[in-house]
Amino acid sequence: MGENMVKIAVYPPNSLILADLLERRGHTPLVLQKQIRQKIKDPEIDSPPMNITEEDPIKGLKYAAIEVPSGVRGRMSIIGPIIDEAEAAIVVDGAPYGFGCIGCARTNELSIFLLRNKGIPVLELNYPTNQDETYVMVNQINEFVDSLEQTAEEE
Amino acid sequence: MSQNLTMSPDLGKEDWDPDVITRMIFIGPGAHVSEQEIVSEFHMLDLPLTIKNTCYGSMISGKSEDVYKAIEEIRKLDPNHIFTKERGFAPGDPRRCRGHRFGPREGFHQMEKEYRILGFVAEALVDEFKKIMDDCIENK
Repeated sequence: MGENMVKIAVYPPNSLILADLLERRGHTPLVLQKQIRQKIKDPEIDSPPMNITEEDPIKGLKYAAIEVPSGVRGRMSIIGPIIDEAEAAIVVDGAPYGFGCIGCARTNELSIFLLRNKGIPVLELNYPTNQDETYVMVNQINEFVDSLEQTAEEE
Repeated sequence: MSQNLTMSPDLGKEDWDPDVITRMIFIGPGAHVSEQEIVSEFHMLDLPLTIKNTCYGSMISGKSEDVYKAIEEIRKLDPNHIFTKERGFAPGDPRRCRGHRFGPREGFHQMEKEYRILGFVAEALVDEFKKIMDDCIENK
């Protein structure tokens, strides 16, 4: 890992391609799987398959109002710490998947809104459908990471 | 579907250790290595890891230090076509493993979709400039 390592939030937070591209450059992608691992290894959860407890919607209150459905707040208790920790973000719009924790459209909207409002550098892309678009996406991500490295050096 | 909901896994010492991590190794389309080669290579490294051979590549689990060391070594086989990703649950965990419950694993759908553009990503990663320079040096 490099000296100027940046913690980058990726959206969708369980993306293979985004996380791998960032790791190749020596940065830390903040992915959902790490949060899930913390959750399932927590000895306080007594019935492991039900890894969302009644505590989670309460933790989610930090990110969403009380009127917001408990499902969104429960998800935010897992995605929220990623947003808090992020020093930069890459958001991919129109990704053709939405399973598990990221299967909730409102949570996705809220998380992307929070990332945009955080005042960190955000790269927004569209999910590629063909070869050329994929090349452009990979180049844009690499350029974005380069620019992050430069700002880190200047500081 | 009751099996899916009432599964209470019998977790070992390693399953509770926060330092033990699991990573999935994907072999992109057009790779020069096979799943079996990757697995044999992991075994040859002689690190204390749990290695699982899968359809998309392999899955390794162990202390984070060993896992990162193994990944660094394995990437050398084909740097542009080997991709890795974190996994929350350990290999064979009854809460996720297909062998103990119905239907495909949730993460499989994600993988299936991303695999479609993985080949293009691998091509984009090939350093064209280096390739041209190498050709020039060879044909000099």
